[in-house]
Amino acid sequence: MENREIQQFLPHRYPFLLVDRILTIEPGKKATGVKNLTGNEWFFQGHSYYPPSLLLESLAQVGGVVLATKAREENPQTQFTGLFAGISDFQFHRFPSQGEEIILQVEVSQSLSSVYRFSAQAFVGDEKIAGGQILLSFFLKKPSGRSEGPSAGEPG
Amino acid sequence: MRRFGHPFPALLIDRVEMLEREKEIKTVKWITANEIYLSGHFPGEPIMPGVLTLEGLIQGALILLEESLNRGKIRVFLQKVGRLRFKRAVLPGERVDFLVSLVSKENPLWKFKGKAQVGGEVAAEADLTFKVDVREVGFEL
Repeated sequence: MENREIQQFLPHRYPFLLVDRILTIEPGKKATGVKNLTGNEWFFQGHSYYPPSLLLESLAQVGGVVLATKAREENPQTQFTGLFAGISDFQFHRFPSQGEEIILQVEVSQSLSSVYRFSAQAFVGDEKIAGGQILLSFFLKKPSGRSEGPSAGEPG
Repeated sequence: MRRFGHPFPALLIDRVEMLEREKEIKTVKWITANEIYLSGHFPGEPIMPGVLTLEGLIQGALILLEESLNRGKIRVFLQKVGRLRFKRAVLPGERVDFLVSLVSKENPLWKFKGKAQVGGEVAAEADLTFKVDVREVGFEL
């Protein structure tokens, strides 16, 4: 899935669209995404590496695509809202820096009503740089509600 | 504030209100619609990204660490986010108070508990673990 298509599923835009491409996806289950780091991104003005908080956001956005594709598969017109609900036990081994390609892997491990728990991992090449669990809450908007243009996504 | 090597646009602290070495810190950040990340999060519906609330807590913990050690350059690495919950969205025009306190210190691991508040409401809570290395030269998160 290319970036243009990702933008149909996520409301995030520059400068906060933190996934470039989806390599493999099983709607509602799991996905692998890519985020490339290049020197002229805005956060490199302050950091020499990809900030860990933004790495979490990248993983959450891939998770958002997993849930959004599933919802659209069931009903192409559906509107939804996703929220970043939390994180459990997320460990960092190293922070990626400029010129690296991060592979983002997420897989739904548990869903409780509208909260989805993902096991998420980030790799550079074969090296695992971070991993843990992230929680997203995701709900469909009622069709009678105001149409707010594109779906709102994860604050976070 | 300038001595903290974390410049624009990723600095999420406007002011340090209170700091007690090896204990706790309170920092403040005002959120305004003009901020760079709000233009994409989301177009027409600005909401402070939750992960940046986390970043604010991380930066508060870093200042507390640096002040507590007071030994020139240290190398700090965020090793773990133990538990983090986002409870409330933060909108432009609001002020976020970041409260970070040291929970335990078993070198090289320093554990912190952080809370981001808007008014009296909790926006996010997090447990953070940092690995601190005082021998190496150079500052890294």
